[in-house]
Parts: sequence; structure tokens; C-alpha cells
Amino acid sequence: MTLSAAFSARVGDFHLEVTFEARNELVVLYGRSGSGKSLTLRAIAGLVPPDAGRIAIGDRTVFDAAIGVELPPQQRRVGYVIQELGLFPHLSARDNVLIGLERDAEAPARYEALRALLSIEGLDERQPHQLSGGQQQRVALARALVRRSEVLLLDEPFSALDEALRSDLRAELLRLRRELELPIVFVTHDLREAHLLADRIVVIDGGRVLQFAARDEVFRRPSSRRVAELTGIANIFSGEVHGGLVEVAGLPLRADDGRDSEGATVDLAIRAERCILRRVDPDGALPENCFVARVTADLAFGNTHTLHLEPEGAGPPVEVEVASRPYEVLGIAHERRWVVELPAADLHVMPR
Amino acid sequence: MSIRASLGGAALAVAAAVLLLFLALPLAGIAWRALTDGDVATELSSGATWEALRLSVVTSTLTLALAVVLGTPLAYLLARSRSAGARVVTSLLDLPLVLPPTVAGIALLTAFGRAGYLGEALDGIGLTVSFTTAAVVLAQLFVSAPFFVRAAYAGFASMDPHLEGVAYTLGLSRWRTFRSVTLPLVWPALAGGAVLCWARALGELGATLLFAGSLPGETQTMPLAILAAFESEAGLAGAVSLSVVLLGFAFLLLVALHRLTATAGPYR
Repeated sequence: MTLSAAFSARVGDFHLEVTFEARNELVVLYGRSGSGKSLTLRAIAGLVPPDAGRIAIGDRTVFDAAIGVELPPQQRRVGYVIQELGLFPHLSARDNVLIGLERDAEAPARYEALRALLSIEGLDERQPHQLSGGQQQRVALARALVRRSEVLLLDEPFSALDEALRSDLRAELLRLRRELELPIVFVTHDLREAHLLADRIVVIDGGRVLQFAARDEVFRRPSSRRVAELTGIANIFSGEVHGGLVEVAGLPLRADDGRDSEGATVDLAIRAERCILRRVDPDGALPENCFVARVTADLAFGNTHTLHLEPEGAGPPVEVEVASRPYEVLGIAHERRWVVELPAADLHVMPR
Repeated sequence: MSIRASLGGAALAVAAAVLLLFLALPLAGIAWRALTDGDVATELSSGATWEALRLSVVTSTLTLALAVVLGTPLAYLLARSRSAGARVVTSLLDLPLVLPPTVAGIALLTAFGRAGYLGEALDGIGLTVSFTTAAVVLAQLFVSAPFFVRAAYAGFASMDPHLEGVAYTLGLSRWRTFRSVTLPLVWPALAGGAVLCWARALGELGATLLFAGSLPGETQTMPLAILAAFESEAGLAGAVSLSVVLLGFAFLLLVALHRLTATAGPYR
């Protein structure tokens, strides 16, 4: 089954324009709140009419502005789970799952199977307020799956839960993805969640798709400065290409994927955990992509330290993340002056 | 407990007791007069009293039915609409609530009265509204329907509209969603609004007097009969006996309605 979506929609003065597809995989719609992620799901579910474009689930066209097709949500066969209050508070868990399936003779049997799959046995008669947050979301998933949905749309389904429950449910969702042969579209603004769950990521900002690619591609090779910012890259510099190197704040840097023409202005990104600290060797010359800098801030996050360094001479200010163990072995707490290396393999060049 | 805290508690209790007493004393006065005044018994056995009560029950029930049947869709559409027009209409709904009932009566006359802009046309096809039982219902509806619509609107607006969207994706039709999801969730608000609406209709006087008049058996509901009795030879004694009947009836009905909404609601 493949979901393909390419449409634009307008709500008030917000304009949404998205293009992406999902095969039997988990595609994460990632972006800040208000970027249009939820609206995208609502349009796919048939709850908001797009004004142009096409949405297809498998070989069924559920929306096509050109030929005037617009299936109502009742006929789209999408499983739709929302963040909070997705369950009907006045119905038992069982009635929540089976509502509308009164005439489907096989539904109870499918529900039986799903109860085991989602470990919600023994909750049949409970009302939502008698269920824990995690149980509520499992029941909501069962409800979305019991009707042979062909696409699963999950709108920040875990964000109302506490962190321990969220990681349980994420693991569960990864297991479900392997067992269910259907496209799953998962909306989140949580970077770690996106990274953990996604096969492919759609980065949305201001109603536009900035990048749609495999997860590692998005995280390692953001298509633009904005994507780099949204995906949490701490170090983004602007520089100019000279003689095959990118000059940033007076320091020529080699980047393995730099292919830009002489004189072009580009953006350069490197994640904080990819920067390397070396002891200063007073006699040796500085190797390529290295410069001397001083630690100006040192934030301890338990298992990592985030350091801010200001250059002594040429070079940009950088943020460097060091794991606790090397932090202690190197004795960073007692030494402020370091050589920072920005490895050419980890420097990513983004055209302007 | 500190002295300040206990003083504060005492002040609260005194304030509450003063208002409670103020509300209870006049009611006790009616009950006392009804028990001690010899005329009350004769008034109570008069057919006119029961005729007025019957008219009150019939008209206020009709009013409530109309308010619920027509007001529920209005409240739902207003609560789900995002248009500026809907917001204006919602705030205009309060207008009949703050209008003096006499003004409401005059307004109704200018529209549906014989010389009113609609009344004239209705008269032409042989339909006279003003000074009929229908006019009583219209007067009550005008002043009481906003109570129901307001409460229903608040109920619909406080419900998470995403629930309806989820229901649609589950294959539930719009009507089934309204019946199985929306209605059970807003039931307490609708029931509360219905009680308010009915109570306001039962007590309606000013608009009815101007628009429907005070014709015994046709437009003279209990409040009008009480006023008529007060102004007649029967005086206070006549008014008291009718008031007791109305009071007792209203009390019984309120208790019944509260029990009904507390226990029979499809969702608690």
C-alpha cells in the first residue's frame, strides 16, 4: 500500500502546500507547532478540503481536484489517532473500538486479535477516564486498526504522556510497523522521536515541505540552513568558496561534499557531537580544519557536556558536545584552551 | 485554625445566610398566608385557577419543545462556525435576555401584531397571531429560547470538535456522530438550558400581557391570572392562592427535572 499526497490547502490566511508519499514504512512529518503538520493529516483524513492537488491510497483516489473526486472521511479507510481525548469519554474501551462496526460480523474477532497485539486485555468495560494515558493510546490504536485501515495517521499521539511511557509506546510502534503492512504517517515536533521512529522524514515549515528524504539523509545532509536549524544542528556558519575550500571567519575549511563554484556564498553545518577537541601542541603547526579556541561556557547534561568555544584567531565560535568519559579523561574542566577540529567528512555544505 | 481564618469563615457563613434568608422569607410569607387566610381554600377550588395553570403548562411545554427543536441546530451551527457573522449572532442572542419583557412585547407587536409588518400580511390570509394562545407561546419563546440556545452553545463549544472528526474517520455518519458522540457529551448542558428555558417561559408576564393580552382560558397564564387577581376584589388573598399553586407546581417540576437530568443522562 502506498499513500501519495500532493496538494495545497488554505485555512484562513494559512497556506499549506505538501508533497510526499509513504509506502509500507513510517514517515514522520516533522516541524514546529503551527507549521501545518496536523492540517496535512486532517486533509488526508478528509476532515479539511484541499483546494488543489491529489491524494491517493493505493490505487484509490480519495481526493483529486482536477476530476472533482472528494471522498468523505467515512469512506477513506484511514486510521486517525490524535494527541488527547481521542477516545469517546462516555463509551467503554470496547465500545470505543467497535463503534460503527455493529454490522461487521468479523470485527469482534479482529478486536480479540488486537487486544493481544496491543496488550489491552481486561480493559473492555473500562471507560477512558479509568484507563492510564498509555492504555488510552493503545485503545485508540486498536480502534484505528480494527477497521482494516489502509493508512495510519498519528498526530502527536504520545505527546500528552510522560517520558517513560512515551519510550515504551515508541518501541511498541516500531514493532507494530514491522507487523503491519501499511503506511504510517506520524506527526511530531520532537526531534528525538522523529529520529527514533522515522524511515523517511518530511520537514515542514510555514506550510511548505523543506526536505523529504530518508532519515539519515535529513539529519546528515539538511537541504538548507532552515532544515539544519530545525534538525538541531548547533553549528551553522556562512562562508565563501575559495580554491575548493570554504572560508569561514578567515579560516579555510575543507568539506568533503563541497562542490560549489568559486566565490559562491554557502552555509556550512556541523553537529556539536561531530566536533573534536585536541590538546594544544605549542610547537606543532595547526593541521587542516583546526583552530585554537577558548571554552566560554560549560553546561553539564549528565551524560554529556555542551561547551561553547570562542576562537583566539581565525575561525567561527562553535558549540561542541563531549561525552562525560572523554570530558574527564581529557581534563576539560581544568583546561580552557583547546584545538577544535571540524572534520571534513562531517562538514556539510548547503547552497544558499 | 487561626483567628483570621475563622473570622473569614464566619463572614462567609453570615453573607450566605443573609441571602438565603432574604430569598426564603417571601416564599414563607406566601405559604403562611395560604395556610391562615380563609379565602385561599375557595380560590383554590375555583375552575379559573386550574384553567390558568393548564394554559401555563401547555404553553410553556410547547415553548420548550420549540426552543429545543429549533434551538439545538442553531446552537450547534453557531458553536461550529468560525465566521465573524456567527460571532455577531452569538452576542446578539443575549439581547432578549437583557431586554425588559415589556419591550419584548412591543417588539413582537410591531412584527406580528395586526398592524405589524408581518402581522398585516398574516391577517390577509386569515391568520391572526396577537391576542391568541399562539401569541402566548411566541412571547414565551422570544424571551426564553435564548436561555436554552446560550446553554446549548456553551455545551457544544466546550466539546473537543476533533472528536467529531475522529468519529467520521471511524465511518460514523454525521447524524450518527451527533447522536452517539456529540449529544451524549453535551447532554448536561442541554438539560440545564432546558430547565432555565422552561422556568423563564413559565414565569413570563410582561411580553405576554402586551402581545397576547390577559383573556381567561385563552391567553391568561398563571402569572397573568395572579396579576389579575391582585388587581381585582380578591386582592392579595386571591393572588396568594394562585401563587401557591404556581409555586408548588414549579417546585415539583424542578425537582423532577433535576432528578431526570442527574440520573437519566446518557453520559455521566
